[in-house]
This record gives sequence, structure tokens and C-alpha cells, in this order.
Amino acid sequence: MLPLEDVKVLSFGTGGVVPDAGKIFGELGADVIKIESKDNLDFMRTIGPDMNNIAGFNEANRNKRSFGANLKTEKGKELVSRLVKWTDILLENFRGGVMKSLGFDYDNLRKLNPQIIYVSSQGFGCGGPYSDFQAYGPMLSAASGMLSFWAQPDDPYPVGSNSPLPDHMASKHAVIAALAALDYRRRTGKGQHIDMAQTEVAVNLIGEHYLDYTYNHRVARPMGNRSSHAAPHGCYPCKGNDEWCAIAIFTDEEWRRFCQVLGEPAWTRDPKFGGLQNRLKNVEELDQHIREWTSGFDGYVVMEVLQAAGVAAGVVQRAPDALADPQLKWLGSMVELDHPVSGKRLYPGVPFRMSGAPPVRSMAAPLLGQHTEEICRELLKMSDEEVQRLIKEDVLHTPASSKSGGTSILS
Amino acid sequence: MKEGALSQYHVLDLADSKGAYCTKLFADLGADVIKVEAPQGDPGRRMPPFAGGVPHPEKSLYFLHRNAGKRGITLDIETDDGRDILIGLAARADILVESSPPDYMAGLGLDYAVLRKVNPRLVMASITEFGRSGPYKNRKGSNLVDFAMSGVMITSGYPGKEPSLCPGTPAYDAASLYANISILAALHMRNAIGEGQFIDVSVHETSRLGLYPWIVPHYSYAINPGGPPPSHESRLGASVYPVYPCKDGLIRVIALTPRQWDALVRVLGNPEVLQMPDWRSFLYRIGNAADLYALMLEFTQKYTMVELFEAGKREGVPIAPILNIKDFYDSPHTKAREFFVQVEHPVAGKADYPGPPYKWTESPARIARPAPCLGEHNEQVYCQELGFPRDDLVALKGAGVI
Repeated sequence: MLPLEDVKVLSFGTGGVVPDAGKIFGELGADVIKIESKDNLDFMRTIGPDMNNIAGFNEANRNKRSFGANLKTEKGKELVSRLVKWTDILLENFRGGVMKSLGFDYDNLRKLNPQIIYVSSQGFGCGGPYSDFQAYGPMLSAASGMLSFWAQPDDPYPVGSNSPLPDHMASKHAVIAALAALDYRRRTGKGQHIDMAQTEVAVNLIGEHYLDYTYNHRVARPMGNRSSHAAPHGCYPCKGNDEWCAIAIFTDEEWRRFCQVLGEPAWTRDPKFGGLQNRLKNVEELDQHIREWTSGFDGYVVMEVLQAAGVAAGVVQRAPDALADPQLKWLGSMVELDHPVSGKRLYPGVPFRMSGAPPVRSMAAPLLGQHTEEICRELLKMSDEEVQRLIKEDVLHTPASSKSGGTSILS
Repeated sequence: MKEGALSQYHVLDLADSKGAYCTKLFADLGADVIKVEAPQGDPGRRMPPFAGGVPHPEKSLYFLHRNAGKRGITLDIETDDGRDILIGLAARADILVESSPPDYMAGLGLDYAVLRKVNPRLVMASITEFGRSGPYKNRKGSNLVDFAMSGVMITSGYPGKEPSLCPGTPAYDAASLYANISILAALHMRNAIGEGQFIDVSVHETSRLGLYPWIVPHYSYAINPGGPPPSHESRLGASVYPVYPCKDGLIRVIALTPRQWDALVRVLGNPEVLQMPDWRSFLYRIGNAADLYALMLEFTQKYTMVELFEAGKREGVPIAPILNIKDFYDSPHTKAREFFVQVEHPVAGKADYPGPPYKWTESPARIARPAPCLGEHNEQVYCQELGFPRDDLVALKGAGVI
């Protein structure tokens, strides 16, 4: 059996956090239904010209069924309410206040399903003055303190990353919360509401720097890749355009082996690089020497010769590197899925192995409303006539009825 | 006081920094987590920064944060007695998390096959750097090296400059989070099948697949006929999500759609120079990021961070203040949520700690105790709970077993 095959999840999600959480539930065997509407699209459906052919969306929404309904109609809301009665877990990350305006806040839905586990994940949480502020991942890093020192010391100002981090860390916390609440419900029969603030997740990931403030009154400043207990510790330029290899040396033994790999040129024997404290003291000069060495080689050569000597080193990878990575190939980390519009494409699989469960299933992301009719028939026990009428009345959305929906933000 | 969601579970934490956050999350939710350290202490105790600024095994703030809520015992599992004691502990545990190199536990006769004989319900998770098998099995990793390979690092920092490590230990925490999820899934399954199982997690795979899962599909879509133009995998933070100075700090602006751009122009008082229709296009703005930056400076600097944050909300464009650690700590929003909680550690002293990142209506999450001092709960666990006579404890200590 799949670990969560008896678990039912309803996902009112947009962007990164809740879609990623729902995807993980689906991979573990849960039946996950994404509630969508063609008039109010998941943001990720709008970042390209065809809402059904977007890599990021189709990654984040695998292993789900899509139920398309117009939540501005009473009938649409009623049908979704019936799915609320069916579900174990509800996940939502709409802007604060949106679920309430739909009548789908926890206090209302627990009347329909007293045992429901309802996980809200807003950027700033659902209480406090900023609770109805919209938040994308790059805002969370900004508003949580993380971005203020995600930089090199000589950068004019911090810019962090164009990835949505910490979205994909917050999503995992949402899964953990929902599974723990499910466990609690099994023992006590009680459902509950969990209010997860994504900024507070980010703060927990850098908690030691908060303690540095509360214990030491020190406010973290950018230190780039430097470490106070390892040197060298950074990314070093290699042959080619924007190619780098990360190297981390913690012990004197690792340093000795590193010097051997370099052929022990004279500078490595200079006492100013002997011992961690000396290397830290003279780290600018140390890094300059290492940069001179690495820039003569391909990043993979640097990684291989250092790893062969027992020194931690890794190429700063891009997507093609991940696809060629021998370890990920060995693990079978990437999966090919056939999507009805996008065709056969590669996606990251599940990064863990459970001895008691078969390899997880992986299902391509749904078209908008792809499973509307199936869900009406099987779960809501509706007649075909009623379903077809509601599609015509634009209460229910199917792929055929949603063709006109969707505008690209890039247009 | 209401109990936490996982308060009936007993967790053995043999992990170093790769798994510390995994078991902290269990402790936050009420599980009894016993950190099992070698007598010389977890290497995490040497991780900076330190309370008081000077290295001390009880004052590593990295350790204190990620081990808050746990109890702690010492045990040298490389000794025969230590091995037997661990088997005894595993017999009464629900969960065991460890992060030793591949084959290490098996070499000691402590692999899952052995432990499940004494406790078939045990869920054991093993976190390695690169995996328990495969060509990279014996490679050396570190948070920096694993983050470099995650696909996020190449996007982090300024174009043309050295890529920047994300603060914290994001690669290790990715492994911790996936270990936690798979353990909870295994516990769920245990209720159906009556048995535990073994979970295999690596830092390399979890950080590569988990931190930025969109990038491989982006590439896969782009290289196929009819796909979108390939996204340039580089450091685009400054152009995609630009950062501007304002009166009292910095803000980050997330204007993607034409509507959001229009809202931003309104926020800045409708300056004519920003009303040129070309600017409404996201791709045009990225292509002319340097010019735009120069134009924007004049307007953003008229306002404070909070003014822009609130005006963005009003007009419909996400604008975030770039708060530093102190700003976030002092923020009225943080105070209103009562996020920080005071924890008193017997050596490091009293301070506010980040609380669990969620509020629960039925089973509260909380930091129940400070991180353990080395061997702090030896007597409680070995004598009171396992029933060792006190003399045995002295002998075990003398023999270096605990």
C-alpha cells in the first residue's frame, strides 16, 4: 500500500507553498483535489501563454485531480462544500481574508465537517496587522530577516535569489503540520485549525541568527560564503562562463589533502595558512590563491580531484547538471511524465525511499477542470444531466469550457 | 495544559546537524525527543555563533535553537555496552533518526535489520550526504557543497559575482524536512500494517529536488520543440524582484503583471517617466533593469519601508520591506503574534527564541524546554526510566560508555 492512500486532501492553493504541499500528499498516495476556477486562476497558471502548458505549474500540481468550479455562484460553493464534508485535510494559502469572503473559513467549515484539519498558510500568518498582505516567496525572505544577509559583504545591497525560496521550505512544514494533526485526530477524534506563517518558517531556518541578536545583541550582516569554522569555504571560479565549484575545508587533515591535490606549491607551506585560525585570518589571500588554481580547470575536474582526496567539493549546478548527475541517475531521482498538453517532460521525483512502501506513483498535473465530471459522478453522485447543465451555466469548469480562461502576465 | 499533537511518541535523535531540525520539529509538537550524543558531544555544539561570542559546548546558538525541546543523554555506541544500551532504548522508541555515514551503523551491528528484531514497530530514518549507495556514496558533503549542487545557489547573489549561500543550513534542513515527512507517513502507515519501516534520505537528493523543484521541468520544457525560451540560469534576483532604497532602508518589489506595475506607479505618485507603456511589460523591465533601477531611485527614496509596504497593499502590488533581524524581532506584527518565546538555558542563560512557525487550535506547538546540556538527562533516562542502578551509571561513566 501507499503510505497515505486512505487520506483525502482538498487544496485551495496558489503559487508555491500549498501546491507543493498537495503534490507531496499526492506522491504519498493521498487523493488530492485541487479546487480551481477559470476566472480566478492559480497564479502559476498565468506565467505563460497556455495555462495548461507551464512547467512550474505542472511540476507543483502533479498527483492531483482538478475540480473546476465558479466559486462566485451559490451552486459552485455548495458543490465545494460537499467536498469539504468528504475531505480529511484542507490546505489553503489564499491571501488572508479570501477564504472567509467565500464563506470557507475554518469556523464555517467545521460546522460541515467537525473533524476537518484546516491548514492555512499565509505569508505573515492569519492573525496580526499584516495578515491580509499578499506574499510571494521573495517577499518572505525579505520580510523575515533572511534576505538582509543573503549577500556578499561587498554587495551594494542584498538581492538574494530569483528562486522562490523559502516557499519550498514552508510547503514541507505545511505537510508536517497536517500529518501531525491527522495523527492527533486519530487518537482524539479532534480536528483543528493550523495557522502557519511563512515568514515564521523562514525565521526558524535562521534561528541561530535570531539568538545571536537576543543573546548577543548582534544583528547579522552579510558574510557571503565565509564560515567562522571552515576555511577555505566558498565558491571558486572555474573554466568557462559563470562556472563555479564550492569547496569546504573544516579540518587540518582535509587541508593537508587539499594541498597535496594542488601539488603543494610554495604558498601552501606558508605558516600563515597553517591551522584554521591562520587560514581565517588570511582568508582573502587564501581565497585568491585558490581562485588562481580553480580557474585553470573545469568545475567537474576540481570537484572530482578534491572528492577523490576526501575533500568536500561540489559544482554549482544548473538543471542540465542535475540531469547528468551520476548519483541522481543512480537513485532514479528524475521522472518522466506524459502530460496531455505538454507531452513527455522530466520532473523531480520523490527524494526518499521507504522500505515498507512501493515506489510512489507520479501523475502528471491536471488540466484545469480535468476531473470535474469524474468527481461529480463518483464523489458527489450527480446525474450526467445536472453536470452538463452546470457546465453550460458556467458553474462547473472543464478543460473544454475553460479554453478562453487565462491571460499570461507576460503579455 | 493541552498536549502537543505528537505527545505520545518517543524519538531517539542520533543525528548531527543534518537531522537536528527534523527532530526539533517533533519536539515542538510534543514528542519526547532524546538526543543521544557521543560522550564528546554532538559536532553541532561547535557551530557558530555562540552566546557571549566565545566558543563553548553549551553555548552554540545553532545547537541551542535546533535542539530546543529535546532531552539529552550521552552514549558511545561504538562500545559493546553502548551498543546494547542503544538497542534497549530502540526497543521502546517509535522513531530513530540518525545521520552517520553509509555502512557505519551496520558496522556496529545497529542497522535497521537488527533494531527491528527488538522493535518491529520502529520507524528508522537515515540521513546521509549523498545516499546509502551509488557512485557518490562515499563523497564528502557539507551544507555549502550540497547547497551549491541544489540549483538554488547559481540563482543567488549578484550577476557576475560569486554565488551566495542562503543563510542558515538550507541543504541540511531540506533533508530534515523530508525525513520528518516520511517518518510521519510511516507512522500513519504503521497504524494500518502494524509495522515500522526504514527510511533513506540524502542531503544531495532532497536539496536538489526539494528546494527549487521548478528548475528541471523549466529546462525540460525549454529543450523540447515548441517549448518556452530556455530560462537563463543565473543570478537574476536584482532584475526579477528588484530591490530599491527608500528613506529608512530597502524594499523588494514584486511587480509581475501589468496591473501590478500600474499599482506600483500609483504607489510612487504617478511619475510621468514611469508611465511609458513599455514599462508595463515584465520582460521589457527585466531587459532594461539597470535603466529602470536608475529611474526608480528618485521615487522610492521619498517614502519609508512601511509606507511603501502599506501603499503596495492598498494599490495591489506586493512590496516587502527588507527587515533585518532586529526589525523583524521588533515588528508590531511579530509582537501581535507572540511569536518569540522566552527560554532559559542553564548555562547560556535566558533569551527570546523563535517559536514554532504555526499556531494550533487544539494541540499547541511549543518549546517545552531548552536544548539539553551534554548528558543532562543521563540519570533521568538511565536510572529512572530504564531502571539502571546508580552505581552502574558511575561505572558506565568511568568506562567512557556514557
